Amino acid sequence: MSRKRAIILHTALIFSFVMVFLRLTDLMIFSHERLSERAKQQHIKIEDIQVRRGVILDRRGRELALNLELDSLYCDPASLSLDNEDVRKLASAVEKEPKAILSKIPNDGRFAWIERKLEPSAAERVKGLDIKGLGFLTEAKRYYPRGELASHVVGFVGIDNQALEGIELQYDTYLKTTGGKVFLGRDASGRTFSSGVDIEAKGNNIVLTVDEVLQRIVEKELDRAMQEWRAAAATAIMMDPFTGEILALANKPAYDLNKAGRAGDSERRNRAITDCYEPGSTFKIVIGAGALEEKITRPNTLFDVSKGGINAGGKTIRDVHKYGVLTFQEVIQKSSNVGSIMVGMRLGKERIYKYAKLLGIGDKTGIDLPGEVSGWIFPTERWSGTSIGAIPIGQEVAVTPLQILRAYSVIANGGFLVRPHVVSRIVAPDGRVLVSSGENEGRRVISAKTAGAFRDILKTVVEDGGTGQNASINGNEVAGKTGTAQMINPVTKRYSREKYVSSFVGFVPADNPRFSIIVVVYEPKGQIYGGVVAAPVFRNIADQALSYMDVPREDTPQRNPLLVRR
Amino acid sequence: MGRYDKLLLLVTVLLVMLGALMIYSCTSIVTPVFAKKGVTEFYYFKRHLFTILIGFSVMLLAYRLKPSFLKKNALPLLIFSFVLLILVFLPGIGVSAGGARRWIQLWPSTFQPSELVKLSMVIFLARYMSMPDYRADSIVSFAKPILIMGVFQAAILKQPDFGAAMSLAVLTVSMLFLSGVKLRFLASLAVFAVPVVVKLAMEPYRLKRIISFLNPWDDAQGSGFQLVQSFIALGSGGITGIGIGNSRQKLSYLPESHTDFIFSIIGEEFGFIGVTVVLVLFLILFVKGISVAARAEDSFIRYLATGLSLMISFQALINFAVATGLVPTKGLPLPFISYGGSSLLVNMAAVGILLNISKGEHTEEIINDRELLMKRRARRRITEEKRRTGAAGRIYPDRLPAPR
Repeated sequence: MSRKRAIILHTALIFSFVMVFLRLTDLMIFSHERLSERAKQQHIKIEDIQVRRGVILDRRGRELALNLELDSLYCDPASLSLDNEDVRKLASAVEKEPKAILSKIPNDGRFAWIERKLEPSAAERVKGLDIKGLGFLTEAKRYYPRGELASHVVGFVGIDNQALEGIELQYDTYLKTTGGKVFLGRDASGRTFSSGVDIEAKGNNIVLTVDEVLQRIVEKELDRAMQEWRAAAATAIMMDPFTGEILALANKPAYDLNKAGRAGDSERRNRAITDCYEPGSTFKIVIGAGALEEKITRPNTLFDVSKGGINAGGKTIRDVHKYGVLTFQEVIQKSSNVGSIMVGMRLGKERIYKYAKLLGIGDKTGIDLPGEVSGWIFPTERWSGTSIGAIPIGQEVAVTPLQILRAYSVIANGGFLVRPHVVSRIVAPDGRVLVSSGENEGRRVISAKTAGAFRDILKTVVEDGGTGQNASINGNEVAGKTGTAQMINPVTKRYSREKYVSSFVGFVPADNPRFSIIVVVYEPKGQIYGGVVAAPVFRNIADQALSYMDVPREDTPQRNPLLVRR
Repeated sequence: MGRYDKLLLLVTVLLVMLGALMIYSCTSIVTPVFAKKGVTEFYYFKRHLFTILIGFSVMLLAYRLKPSFLKKNALPLLIFSFVLLILVFLPGIGVSAGGARRWIQLWPSTFQPSELVKLSMVIFLARYMSMPDYRADSIVSFAKPILIMGVFQAAILKQPDFGAAMSLAVLTVSMLFLSGVKLRFLASLAVFAVPVVVKLAMEPYRLKRIISFLNPWDDAQGSGFQLVQSFIALGSGGITGIGIGNSRQKLSYLPESHTDFIFSIIGEEFGFIGVTVVLVLFLILFVKGISVAARAEDSFIRYLATGLSLMISFQALINFAVATGLVPTKGLPLPFISYGGSSLLVNMAAVGILLNISKGEHTEEIINDRELLMKRRARRRITEEKRRTGAAGRIYPDRLPAPR
């Protein structure tokens, strides 16, 4: 045996070991991340699993959106054999045309839906047929037990629980949770092996600020007004002026959430936040609050409106009635356009714009519902010569009903601009509170003194001699303001002579408000004035709401609460 | 003197234990592929434990065998293993699987003669090259074992079993190299590559399959699949591995995970640390083997010990190199670790022989080759005489010349 050869061969062999070692270093240490990633890609199969969507509750825990477990019918085309008789029976069981059934059965593959989320009775009928190759999977179907109630707040989901409107859309990530996917190991043939995974993901529940009873009251009264005035549409919002909690929000026409697919655009529109209108006289809050805050007028400052008209940039604006000399308080009470423009001219356009902005005009309120628009008020450099005669009385501006309500809530709560919201808190399945809307997020925009002074003026609106007498309630002082505005014809871009928007906005009890309400009625027939059309709706809503909320009345003896003293 | 090498035994036992562990890990999860065959969780593990039991018996037996016995029976053993190799092709005895006839029926299991061929070839070569009339610089001395190997190769390639053919060739050539044959003899072996090159040139898809190891990612779903899966197994192991029993690649991604690619699963579960340990264990085995050889005074024993060490180490190396994509993908079990009885038994036998040699007691016991040679010469002379004289000749021991 050659010693030299032995050394050569053994060295070569040990060198080969070193080569393997180096190769392993490269593969296992330097390529570790890349190869692990590859491994993950082929080992893990991501599957969507059914997530039990969180439920939506009103502020007292009443269910507005929940889940039903329904059977969905599918077929395995490979093992399915149907004769014409079977198809006919199946079609009648699910109440469809035979053709429609056949069109859903593909020629190949192992899975195809035939009909999803069947009514229990239909599922029973299909099970009774006992056809081979058909199967059922349980799916959760979203169900809205109150149907049409609060449809614009709650919103709805599609057949695959995809969020489409309202809270369902706005808080979709919370409702469906971030999960909803499960990671399963799989082998090379694609079979999952850890089939023991049985995770039922649950979404977070959402508690609204909306109260179902108040919502019902509001909707009932809106329906009545729609009928009485044969209006095109109507909106009402009820809000806690101190916290911004929306207690009720309704638009008419509305739609049944369980049949949302059949609802038209008009029914689905959440006019309270997505539609702009010219507010008319309710906008006088801007010059009113501005003039008082800037100490340009006091409530008893006199304005001579006896001419019944005022020239603004070559255009004469008139009052509905001729008045003589009015105090500032009476200008608002009687909604004198001439007087308001006089105040506006004294305040000046810069300050009008400033106070409009301070009161939240032309800005989104930030409500937690999808689709809100900001409306607009032009900056002063874009004002025309006639703007000074239009803007103080609520023309040439576009607002949403919610913006006006928020502006009046500033008066109601003593000077704070609040953020309206409909979600009170989000609760995880285990009971943890994930999100809680803060207490008062308000920002002071006018002084308490100004708010108090203007509130006193607003009280006179519903008293004798005011435009909003129909809004007065027995036993509780109301503060509010009427509004009547011509709609702009979208074709001619001119003010329509037939189409008006009548509105009333106010709060009760005036000195310690429990809620503020705005009622907007679009295109009422027969009567146009806010004091006639909208004020009674306000009164009816407020009256019932006060009873429901057990707010004491001044002229009726206070009910003695039953107290058990120990 | 007189004590076997304990470290050698320890390393072997460690490797066998690791193998049993890994086989349980690889086969205990009954994947659909296994389930189809009616395999349960312990099916492979139990069988392997049984093989290990036999393996240690074989090791003990080999340890008991005197090297002189091996030396005497080198040729009969070689012929015996050739017969087994031929039996593979006999219907009723031979067993085929996966398009190859490599096994013979041996109740209750099967046996792979090509494994035994390696062992008997080593013993035979040791015997052959330790003969006093062996001339390393003679082309005749070189051609004889090459011819014998050629016959074996023909049978093995007929099965076909390229992995075994490759390791047999490497082993034979290495031992010839060790004996000091002229390098130009070895170089002349290149002529055997010519038909291979021609065949590959005529059927490029074979070439493509062979060289796919250079870039397996190009065809990760086809010819490169196994290697890519091996890389993924090794790579996802990282430094510390993903934990024992946690391999994902064994879930039928990596074909032959419990046999030819068990090294990759070790890498996946025990990481770089684990494979380094395996590498070091084999390296110790090799160094121990050649140091045992170096201590031996007898030429046969030196060749034998070196040859057995090379046999184990080459197999391990080729297996590592396949798993890491350094050489073309060929099926070859990892000694002591892979599932598969024949390989385990043969390697255990080899270790048994090495352990015996490590005792270093055999210098006197070895048959005197010179005497044997003289007997042969005498026989030849008498035969020639007989031919000349026409007389019937018979050789009696008392007529032999006395040993010098």
